[in-house]
Amino acid sequence: MVKMAGMFRPRRLDLSGFINTRVIRDHNKRMAIEQTEPERQALRYMIRNTSLPQRVRAQAQLQLSQMHPYTRPTQVKNRCVASGHGRSIVRAFRLNRFQFRMQAIAGELPGVQKASW
Amino acid sequence: MAQSRILDLVKSQCRIFSLNFNPQRLRLGNKILRQRLRGPALSAWYPRKTVSFRDLQNTYKPLGLTTFDEYEDDREEAIQVSLRGKGRPKKKRSAAGNVILNNPPYRYIHMQPTTN
Repeated sequence: MVKMAGMFRPRRLDLSGFINTRVIRDHNKRMAIEQTEPERQALRYMIRNTSLPQRVRAQAQLQLSQMHPYTRPTQVKNRCVASGHGRSIVRAFRLNRFQFRMQAIAGELPGVQKASW
Repeated sequence: MAQSRILDLVKSQCRIFSLNFNPQRLRLGNKILRQRLRGPALSAWYPRKTVSFRDLQNTYKPLGLTTFDEYEDDREEAIQVSLRGKGRPKKKRSAAGNVILNNPPYRYIHMQPTTN
């Protein structure tokens, strides 16, 4: 298998909202993970199952380690939906702290209010 | 209570709730099979494109409904400009069809012999 990141790139960009290269890359990774998750889980099951022959388990280990890095769930990074920023993301709103603050003050986030007492 | 009775109880419990009965506590990797798939949740992070302007254009094209085409508009505007004589001048051509330079490059001018 040739390991090229381009093979996970969709033919047509299916994102809306803020888009930059890092957002597209992260989205491609997420798509790849979703596609290959059953395969990865099957291999992981085989590796953990001590009742299987040692040879089979070793082969499963090898196969899992040779899968493309983009199919690895640890590769995803939560990025801001409104700005593409990769740091200090408020997970519930998928925004980074600055976008969250601006949208909250503008009243665009339901139920969010600036604290004042 | 006898150990075998407890084992029987656990066995029937596992049968009812469709769990894996494993009294020897072997490592069978069933915890991997119990995990839920995370893919759908992961891939739903970024907002997806639903309908684009191009999709609208393509769906209404067979009905004869056209939309504003920016490239076509630019092209027609450029034609109008050149018709009014405001466009770029045509390059001069000699009889042999070679292009004569209107503005020869700087280095050629200085290479010519000076006449006094």
